[in-house]
Amino acid sequence: MEILIEGRRKASFLLSSEHSPELGFLLDRFRFFILIGCLVRFEMAPVPDPNNVGGGAKRDEATTKVPSKDPKKKDDKKEDDLSEEDLELKQNLELYVERVQDPNPELQKAALESMSSFSRLMMILVLLLSHNAETEAVDLLMDVEDLDLLLAHVDRTNFRRTCNYLTSSAKFLPGPDDMLVLDIAYMIYMKFEEYPNALQVALFLDNMQYVKQVFTSCTDLLRKKQFCYMISRHGITVELDSEMVADKDDRDMLQDIVNNTKLSEGYLTLARDIEVMEAKTPEDIYKAHLLDGRASSGPSVDSARQNLAATFVNAFVNAGFGQDKLMTVPSDAASGTAGNWLFKNKEHGKTSAAASLGMILLWDVDAGLTQLDKYFHSTDNPVLAGALLGVGINNCGIKSDCDPALALLGEYIDNEDSSVRIGAIMGLGIAYAGSQNDQLRSSLSPILNDAKAPLDVIAFAALSLGMIYVGSCNEEVAQSIIFALMDRSEAQLGDALTRFLPLGLGLLYLGKQESVEATAEVSKTFNEKIRKYCDMTLLSCAYAGTGNVLKVQDLLAQCGEHLEKGDIHQGPAVLGIAMVAMSEELGLDMAIRSLERVLQYGEQNIRRAVPLALGLLCISNPKVNVMDTLSRLSHDTDSEVAMAAIISLGLIGAGTNNARIAGMLRNLSSYYYKDASLLFCVRIAQGFVHMGKGLLTLSPFHSERLLLSPTALAGIVTLLHACLDMKSIILGKYHYVLYFIVLAMQPRMMLTVDENLKPISVPVRVGQAVDVVGQAGRPKTITGFQTHSTPVLLAAGERAELATDKYIPLSPILEGFIILKENPDYREE
Amino acid sequence: MLTVSVKWQKKVFEGIEIDVSLPPYVFKAQLYDLTGVPPERQKIMVKGGLLKDDADWSSIGVKDGQKLMMMGTADEIVKAPEKAIVFAEDLPEEEQATNLGYSAGLVNLGNTCYMNSTVQCLKSVPELKSALSNYSLAGRSNDVDQTSHMLTVATRELFGDLDRSVNAVSPTQFWMVLRKKFPQFSQLQNGMHMQQDAEECWTQLLYTLSQSLKAPTSSEDSDAVKALFGVNLRSRVHCQESGEESSETESVYSLKCHISHEVNHLHEGLKHGLKGELEKTSPALGRTAVYLKESLIDSLPRYLTVQFVRFFWKRETNQKAKILRKVDYPLELDIYDLCSEELRKKLEAPRQKLRDEEGKKLGLQTKSSSKDGDVKMTDAEAPSNESGESSTAAQQEGASSSEKGTHMTGIYDLVSVLTHKGRSADSGHYVAWVKQESGKWIQYDDSYPSVQREEDITKLSGGGDWHMAYIIMYKARFVSM
Repeated sequence: MEILIEGRRKASFLLSSEHSPELGFLLDRFRFFILIGCLVRFEMAPVPDPNNVGGGAKRDEATTKVPSKDPKKKDDKKEDDLSEEDLELKQNLELYVERVQDPNPELQKAALESMSSFSRLMMILVLLLSHNAETEAVDLLMDVEDLDLLLAHVDRTNFRRTCNYLTSSAKFLPGPDDMLVLDIAYMIYMKFEEYPNALQVALFLDNMQYVKQVFTSCTDLLRKKQFCYMISRHGITVELDSEMVADKDDRDMLQDIVNNTKLSEGYLTLARDIEVMEAKTPEDIYKAHLLDGRASSGPSVDSARQNLAATFVNAFVNAGFGQDKLMTVPSDAASGTAGNWLFKNKEHGKTSAAASLGMILLWDVDAGLTQLDKYFHSTDNPVLAGALLGVGINNCGIKSDCDPALALLGEYIDNEDSSVRIGAIMGLGIAYAGSQNDQLRSSLSPILNDAKAPLDVIAFAALSLGMIYVGSCNEEVAQSIIFALMDRSEAQLGDALTRFLPLGLGLLYLGKQESVEATAEVSKTFNEKIRKYCDMTLLSCAYAGTGNVLKVQDLLAQCGEHLEKGDIHQGPAVLGIAMVAMSEELGLDMAIRSLERVLQYGEQNIRRAVPLALGLLCISNPKVNVMDTLSRLSHDTDSEVAMAAIISLGLIGAGTNNARIAGMLRNLSSYYYKDASLLFCVRIAQGFVHMGKGLLTLSPFHSERLLLSPTALAGIVTLLHACLDMKSIILGKYHYVLYFIVLAMQPRMMLTVDENLKPISVPVRVGQAVDVVGQAGRPKTITGFQTHSTPVLLAAGERAELATDKYIPLSPILEGFIILKENPDYREE
Repeated sequence: MLTVSVKWQKKVFEGIEIDVSLPPYVFKAQLYDLTGVPPERQKIMVKGGLLKDDADWSSIGVKDGQKLMMMGTADEIVKAPEKAIVFAEDLPEEEQATNLGYSAGLVNLGNTCYMNSTVQCLKSVPELKSALSNYSLAGRSNDVDQTSHMLTVATRELFGDLDRSVNAVSPTQFWMVLRKKFPQFSQLQNGMHMQQDAEECWTQLLYTLSQSLKAPTSSEDSDAVKALFGVNLRSRVHCQESGEESSETESVYSLKCHISHEVNHLHEGLKHGLKGELEKTSPALGRTAVYLKESLIDSLPRYLTVQFVRFFWKRETNQKAKILRKVDYPLELDIYDLCSEELRKKLEAPRQKLRDEEGKKLGLQTKSSSKDGDVKMTDAEAPSNESGESSTAAQQEGASSSEKGTHMTGIYDLVSVLTHKGRSADSGHYVAWVKQESGKWIQYDDSYPSVQREEDITKLSGGGDWHMAYIIMYKARFVSM
């Protein structure tokens, strides 16, 4: 069964990666490959294989069943350009293929015996590699489980295509093959000194040893700078040591890049270039004047709910720009309404308002701390909590030697006021996500097992620990959270916030697949109220971004059950489908279709999660079909479905300024005019769509959709889990969980810098990316392009390439910061 | 002695010396000189924590040449505004209602949309509301029967509830009393209350109110309802055969707009409705003869109600059938040519004034948009002009105008529309469309009020299966003189 699925997936992969009209021809090629594969395997089967004893026979049975109608109908075109020697080789090969298929077993046997297996394999390999059939070569070697051979046989002309195929097929392979394939790709890249690609693969494998090796192997400081930019975009913490960079000053400079200290500067360069520095007010986003009749009806009295929504919209829209029209206006202008915006928010609303300052000054730590300082002296606890959270948001993704966030927030972790505590804990979680900071573990873990701590504090502590140790499989943190879960009383387990405990646990294993199993086993002993929820969360987190079809099926099966009321584990199961399937396009489309079914047949609690799952699948990538589905659901009779759909509309359009979604949301704002809760959701979604005035993306994927930033995914997943119970969390007093989205916020830019890291403007072509995996020749990588000069914005599915030969980019993946080197061979025409 | 650099905001202070033997407070004082931030507001971040005033330098482990980071400003600390901000969510329900700009809807109690829409339309008349609020609970005048009194009180209560509430009001009490007073409304069909004719409800309710709101003195003028809605008609009844002619006056609460094949516009329908033929015994001929009756309006109400006669009894099907013909109606209605001679005379001066004012407004607008220098000139002229005219107008009018100040102009503005959707009076759906004081139009579809555009209101003129106007109400436009 497994092999059949695998085979089918490979077939569909090949089909999908080829959009040429010669589809039939390719199908034949594919069949050809299977024949070769089965030939080779057939003869290798008698040799006892230590890795795969029982499986071999079963495999053969399965693959030989593949119908092979006419092997003669092979590519005649190809024959023309073969040398005589090769032709002979090929004819021989074909003869074997035919013989092997011969119904007469004796003839078959004779054919097989006439060659020694290894020499034949080598023969085929060399033939394939030398004739642009790298994909077939890789497939063949994968089948005979001898990929190492590639390393010796690829050369400068074909390693790129080979590696390309290896990395993209990794997503379709079951473990541990996928890791093996990537290992080979890494080694090939290293062999040919393609360090940026090697680093990419190393980051994908999450293998720090490999990352270090890239640094030690490369001697060029400038290229190392580029590596640092790549690491900083991935959002992981790397401490450079003297082995990686010998010189201390150089090391400091590189560490600065890794620590993202220049991110704010680059982002503002982009903003100035695109001329969007002017701050926007929430009204500029709502565009109420475009709606009929409502324009004049501005309420005379402030509504706390609507002001809170405006606070969030203002924060998201002006994120990172350092200026806005509500929070940063000088306080001496307080005579007007603007200066006192903070106090236009009610009680816990002030927390979000104060924290929004951190969002507005995102990544600019110096300015952020200066502006937030005034709130630190407030006697109003919600304001103080907001200031603490704001520091965390401000420092998101930025590391510094002085650790300002830890220094400032550390002393409030044990404050007597629980709102202040939550502010500090959540702030630390955001600021140190992915850092695996031991100091934080020792101060946060005791809270989990503190019998006196209120549930919300424990929940946020678990979440923050999950963020800090995201994807680390840290045993001790896992233990603390497990104990905390076991200590909860029956009543506490029913609380909406309790869901953050399993989620925190799940984040520890984000994308780590089998490593979760021990913990998943322990979770079976939990109280039944939370057991299934925990199960689903762990499963979905552990396989997030792997595209594992079997896990998607497991999760779908969970959604098929019709349960008694009160069971909530199907929500995370639905989200899980999206989390697992989001990594590659085919699985993603498949998941979207499956979710449509689930929507039709599922129970209410499943229907509520479906829009969120759709939102995750297409985050910052407004696909029209998903947009339509969500638009339909936004008018659902169940208000929770409608709310989730509205938030998801915001998520899929996040940072795109998509006019169609903006129009939909504007109409929804008039439709839900009287429903404060739904209107709040509409406003938040509007804030998402215009996030960073269209310069930001929430997509956790980067580097041409290959790499998945764990912290970004953690942020999104946390928000979505909170949205599963909108009423008690986001519409209740924990609306600041919306700020977790900051972890996923990244400029969707391409900024070119010169060797001194100063921005320079060069012409680039930006167009729709074309999948060139396995294509022959030198296919175009982008289509329908336009020429711009950098810095430019890249939308989902777009790719850039330099339109000048004057410079050489130091990274083949033109995203984020790109260092350009002058081309020595360039001549002015 | 250590030398460190301190980063504050975007500045870096290099080479600051620390005397390790003195407490950190001294160091903070040093920084105070440099930055102007008082020591108690300074937060100095050393690896992993904040620098405490009384800490020991040796235990902190600051190294020579280390970079420290300082946070702090000398700015004022934010204070909450002295006057706490009031949020809409904290307000009592009734104040929330006023913030909304329009009142609540009415719950449909089972085919009661005819009643709901009638109530919503009548509620839009503020004068009626104030007249009702003056109505005393106990002091029932003798000529009003018990049920009328109860209905009046119920109406008053219902209007009050609507103003106070944010959510839809259930008019249970009102409905009960209405059915008690007018048993025809409690007809049942298949165990359900039947749909009724909104016009009947409107007329009956107004009649009851007019009876009960009559002041105890029972003089004609004090009839509040009549003063608001009553139209005096003077009719000339003329028999063509005998040449007899007589005149009579009557008072009605609404004008009828008859719809025949040649009627395309409200105005035509009204004219049609004011002309009629009737058969009666002619004393001169000694037999029944056809008389022509031509009516003209003799006095204008503050609120002019027009009923489109869309329903007629179809004998074949035994039901009230509906005329779907499209009859346009304007947002601004001029009924000058429906008025009697005397009334026209009275109206002339105020109408002239109104025209002048409008002309002036237009003239001013064009000027102000062209040059701002000119505006001052016209502004200066305008008041003198106005006063001059009004004085002449006053002279002309002289003693004839009974009430000084405001005058009718014969021009009316549309304020509410009661529409019917469906094919017969006893089925379909009634909806009220009411203009608010803010100028917004609200559609009251039972419990759901929704904002509408003004241009959509004129689209309710029939000619299809969409909502079509059945009863419309205009408000008189006054000029002050």
